[in-house]
Amino acid sequence: MFFHIVLERNMQLHPRFFGRNLRENLVSKLMKDVEGTCSGRHGFVVAITGIESVGKGLIRDGTAFVTFPVKYQCVVFRPFKGEILEAVVTLVNKMGFFAEAGPVQIFVSKHLIPDDMEFQAGDMPNYTTSDGSVKIQKECEVRLKIIGTRVDATEIFCVGTIKDDFLGVINDPAAAA
Amino acid sequence: MSVASDSPVHSSSSDDLAAFLETELDSDSDSSSESFPIEEEPEDDAEVSNHRLKRRKLDHLETVDEDEIEEVASVKFSQEISEASSSKLPCQHPGTFGNMCIVCGQRVEEEETGISFTYIHKGIKFHEDEVTRMRDIDMKMLQSQRKLCLVLDLDHTLLNSTVLRDLRPEEEYLKSLTHSLQDVSGGDLFMLEFMHMMTKLRPFVHSFLKEASKMFVLYIYTMGDRPYARQMAKLLDPKGEYFGERIISRDDGTVRHQKSLDVVLGQEKAVLILDDTENAWPSHKDNLIVIERYHFFASSCKQFDHIFQSLSQLKSDESEPDGALATVLKVLKQTHSLFFEDGGEDLSGRDVRSLLKQVRKDILKGCKVVFSRVFPTKSQAEDHPLWRVAKGLGATCATEVDESVTHVVAMDVGTEKVRWAIREKKFVVHRGWIDAANYLWKKQPEENFGLEQLKKQGAEEKSDDVPLEK
Repeated sequence: MFFHIVLERNMQLHPRFFGRNLRENLVSKLMKDVEGTCSGRHGFVVAITGIESVGKGLIRDGTAFVTFPVKYQCVVFRPFKGEILEAVVTLVNKMGFFAEAGPVQIFVSKHLIPDDMEFQAGDMPNYTTSDGSVKIQKECEVRLKIIGTRVDATEIFCVGTIKDDFLGVINDPAAAA
Repeated sequence: MSVASDSPVHSSSSDDLAAFLETELDSDSDSSSESFPIEEEPEDDAEVSNHRLKRRKLDHLETVDEDEIEEVASVKFSQEISEASSSKLPCQHPGTFGNMCIVCGQRVEEEETGISFTYIHKGIKFHEDEVTRMRDIDMKMLQSQRKLCLVLDLDHTLLNSTVLRDLRPEEEYLKSLTHSLQDVSGGDLFMLEFMHMMTKLRPFVHSFLKEASKMFVLYIYTMGDRPYARQMAKLLDPKGEYFGERIISRDDGTVRHQKSLDVVLGQEKAVLILDDTENAWPSHKDNLIVIERYHFFASSCKQFDHIFQSLSQLKSDESEPDGALATVLKVLKQTHSLFFEDGGEDLSGRDVRSLLKQVRKDILKGCKVVFSRVFPTKSQAEDHPLWRVAKGLGATCATEVDESVTHVVAMDVGTEKVRWAIREKKFVVHRGWIDAANYLWKKQPEENFGLEQLKKQGAEEKSDDVPLEK
């Protein structure tokens, strides 16, 4: 799920960035530092949308660095248990398949793929129903349900299932082509 | 929920009939499914209502009255309930992804998580029972495709790499011969400047992989690190058709400085290994085919303390049709056809390890070998590696000469046994004859391994069989 929230961060800035462009420097450093990172509480920071306030700088003793408390608005993405997500399949093997929804990596094990879908090995491994009407392979888009999440410093891991109604392949670019 | 308990719908056997009905009805005519008179159907007919349920999932255009939807929904709900109650057994946690169980999604403690399959994904682990289960399923699937598993080493087996810094002045000419990295197919010499390396693929490797992939599911297993392994796989298999994600590097192994089949998803009795280093596989020696080391670069020879010149210095290379890979391919083909011989359904008793031994045993079949001054007198002759190698190759070994002896293996002309052999017109060979047969999987012509040759070669002279000696 996406959220638009306000977060705060203490930014340390080297004196060479002081001057007229101090604010711009601060913002560009903030973007570099924050965008694409994860926190267990908020999930993945997708993009900074605005700066709420920049507090008073504090010179750190012993170094010339200055610390600014910055409040910023950002879009975060955090998957939840029970959430339905759409994801792109990245790897299919006999254990199940891996899919990605943006930065989130989701594993759907063989146990949670409908029983009528069988693994087919080959240079394009896939799971296919016995009548061949549904096929899960690399690059496919699937709708799945999250059954467990774990958020690390840099990554979000999820375990998902497609063994439920209205879940499974929603689009297969390979088949359409 | 009371509807659920007495509704006969959620028995799976009715699904087949429903599917049958569905195909029957669909084949009737396209429009009939749209105008199918639902309201007129008897309400208590379980099969038909189930069929309707299925149709609803497929086709949202269908219009049904409110009560109908209610009923369908409650039936579906009850199915969910019954499924949930039947799976109330505690989850076995067959595997984890980022320490979450892959079946129930719960957090699982680090200690009880089993074998890591980092080459597939760094966060994935499977319990040993699950791995065994997957191997069993896999075995059935592979047998139906008439395939086995083959684990391939990279360095000195399929290719030879050197750090650019170690390139000798006389090897500089190679730099002008390197193949473009944009399109690697067909090339065999590559300069990987971003890795500061130069890599030479072994002659015949492309045909080898092509042929082997028809009989085997191929794995790479190298002591190199992951980026190196991936890069080499790209050179060998630019289209990714042979190895897929089955590239195991040092970073993925479970034991340091050793290779093991525990991360390979094949039953041990169906896995062959091709490697130049026997010691890397302490617990799977029986699956292993040892291949002669491929030394193309001078630095590689130096690494193994070889005094002779490397292939690059000699500006030559292994022969394509008779090189080590071609020889091994023949062995692989032989073992594969033995495994699937008399193509019956039940292959559960077959084991590549015994078949490989069987193939080996044919090499020196019928030879009776006596050793003369090869082993130190103190030690037991039966314990000597050369004795065991000869036995493994199917030769009979003896300590004393008699009429049935065919070969005398000696290192010196002057011994009593050698004189006897010359008198009795038996073959006199040096130990290279056995080593060569061991590596080349073929009985070698005895005249190339006479004691005179050994003397002639002296210390520095290079010949074909010298690299075979460790």
